[in-house]
Amino acid sequence: MIPLSWYLILAAAIFCIGVYGVLARRNAVAILMSIELMLNAVNINLVAFWRYMSPGVISGQAFAVMVFAVAASEAAVGLALIISIYRRRFTVAAEEIDMLKW
Amino acid sequence: MTLVQILFLLFGLVTLLASLMVVTSPKLVHAAFWLILALAGVAALFILLEATFLAVVQVVVYIGAIAILIIFAVMLTRRVMHDTGPQVNRSWWVALLVSLVLFGGLVLMLAQVPALAGTPAPLMVDQETLLEDLGRALVDADRYVLPFELASVLLMASMIGAIFVARPPSGSEERSGER
Amino acid sequence: MSIIDYDPSMLMAILPELLLLGLAMVVLAADVIWRPSQRRFLAWLTAGGMTAILVLALIFSRPDASQGLILGGMLRHDWMAFAFKLLFLFAGAVTALISLDFPGVGERGEYFALLAVATLGMSLMASAADLIMLYLAIETTSIPLYILAGFIKVDDKSTESGIKYFLFGAMASTVMLYGFSLIFGFAGETNLYALAGKLAAGQVSPWVIIGAAVLVLVGLAFKISAVPFHFWAPDVYEGAPTPITAFVSTASKAAGFAVLLRVMLAVFPQVEAEWTAIVAAMAVATMTLGNLIALAQKNIKRLLAYSSIAHAGYAMIGLVAISQLGSASVLFYLIAYVVTNLAAFGVVVLFARAAGSDEIADYAGLSRRSPGLALALMVAILSLAGMPPLAGFVAKVYVFAAAVQTGLVWLAFVGVLNSIIGLYYYLVVLKVVYLYRSEDEDKPIAVPRGAALGLAVCLAAILIIGVLSGPWLDWSLGASAALF
Repeated sequence: MIPLSWYLILAAAIFCIGVYGVLARRNAVAILMSIELMLNAVNINLVAFWRYMSPGVISGQAFAVMVFAVAASEAAVGLALIISIYRRRFTVAAEEIDMLKW
Repeated sequence: MTLVQILFLLFGLVTLLASLMVVTSPKLVHAAFWLILALAGVAALFILLEATFLAVVQVVVYIGAIAILIIFAVMLTRRVMHDTGPQVNRSWWVALLVSLVLFGGLVLMLAQVPALAGTPAPLMVDQETLLEDLGRALVDADRYVLPFELASVLLMASMIGAIFVARPPSGSEERSGER
Repeated sequence: MSIIDYDPSMLMAILPELLLLGLAMVVLAADVIWRPSQRRFLAWLTAGGMTAILVLALIFSRPDASQGLILGGMLRHDWMAFAFKLLFLFAGAVTALISLDFPGVGERGEYFALLAVATLGMSLMASAADLIMLYLAIETTSIPLYILAGFIKVDDKSTESGIKYFLFGAMASTVMLYGFSLIFGFAGETNLYALAGKLAAGQVSPWVIIGAAVLVLVGLAFKISAVPFHFWAPDVYEGAPTPITAFVSTASKAAGFAVLLRVMLAVFPQVEAEWTAIVAAMAVATMTLGNLIALAQKNIKRLLAYSSIAHAGYAMIGLVAISQLGSASVLFYLIAYVVTNLAAFGVVVLFARAAGSDEIADYAGLSRRSPGLALALMVAILSLAGMPPLAGFVAKVYVFAAAVQTGLVWLAFVGVLNSIIGLYYYLVVLKVVYLYRSEDEDKPIAVPRGAALGLAVCLAAILIIGVLSGPWLDWSLGASAALF
């Protein structure tokens, strides 16, 4: 069988790729996609922990189901906000959204 | 190396490469398609982990709804597709550094846990019992009924908000908008 | 347990949340039924509804003596959570009042419904005792707030504020969620009050617990806008509709602290030395940076944003003290800060509506244009600056006293130094309001009745909490006993 650490390290790698995407990409839609990657990494963690550490209790799977629900609402709200700003300015690049400065 | 391990490595590598392409691909539409591949890879991992219901949910909700929604948004805002320019901001190397340090830290941290090398006991119950237990847990007042109901409130609020924000401003809003 | 043998008394514990959901539905229905000319009463409906819920909560859903876990361990119905719930309901009602007639939001049912849902999320944040519940409560608070920040679609600054808040917020909460997944994994448990025991029994390496604690701290530091996760706050505060700025900077921050207190004290006692060191360092950085950057601000909303960052730093001192007095002082500080900052933002809302500006320079002559508003601003600003006998002064004294009591004299000292820096920029605002003249002096500022009511309540609270602090402190001490 597969050691749990393989799953956890894979999840950590996907999570860090997502973090890189959030911090580095200019486009707001791309940042949203990176956030979805991070959420998927969390779900791999949750399901792997459920299977290996506590298969007797369902909480790991229930947690993952809740993460799905939150991911869906985050995607909907995020894309609505992106469309709203695009309508005003015809740009969704996060760096160009810079009217507010320190 | 067993067949399961080979399958894990295969799906893991596909997911990892697809994720890398999501954050590096210069064209947004391509990034969205790579995201779908990454999500499918995660669904395959769920099957390896014997969480078949979650694998189905992953395909239906993530690929069927969220990824498609993202592709729609990419197409609705496609005018930016043409203005190419760099897809990463000026401080991308800081981002790279942060994520590498984070990964190193997480790996070091996980290396502290000896139990991780073990393999799991075979699942005691069959998938139907498991699914029934999950279903009951979500509506059981002694377990997860409150988070379950709250998730529905959250989805409703997001729906109201998303519809309002994405709708073009009405005439009265245009007039009242100037503060 | 099936629904038939279900104990209805448990529903009384979540009565405020149920009523808030009902209020959101009523507001949406009224938005559809009412004629456009009647829709300005949506603000009154929301404010009145929240006040009524506050009263009903005080009567019917006080925690009983056991202060135990309810609904399968999802919530902990204790006095700490209850105190925060009342605070959020108060902040929600005042926010609704100052939204009255605010252009672009004051007549929208969606706005007030989302405000009610965000308040619902906050009160569940304060009482959540389970990782799953906590994550959902945090998201139910944040996601409506993202929309509310970007609510004015025809205003570039507002839409931009919404998207920035969303992108930073979603990332921070996902980092926190990753921390939750590690904690869950190594403990095999999601209940906050069982986690510490399971982690200790499983002999999980302290490094893993510290790592998870850091990840969780990132998410919560974002919610309370602590340095180095504060950078979103000034931009979002400036761009969002001002009533929402008031709400985010008060209630949302207090909700972050409610979670911080519960999670850090309940889940991480094993690595107490490490996390308090991290939080102490963050507190120092937050106070100092917030105050120093505030010195340079020209826009009142940005000034209040940096001042609110600094105030998060002061409140964190009480958290570091890890004592009953420490958490009581955090609760007391937040109560004082919420009423004070709501008053300050209330004045900003009213002034901007009349003068169309948020620049501090334009506040010149305010004392002649509207003596009442100027007085309200003075009381709020002096309380923020920590002047006796106002609420902000007493709150600071208790926080510093808690630090000294646990031997953190240096931290209290840094706090006092920072209060002195803060004094400067607060007094500059008052100087502009009271001493400078302007050409607009003959143009009086209209103060609508609803907003005047909201302001008056906040000012009365600032004075009462400041002058008669004893009972409030006793109450806070009683509430914080539930955490230990």
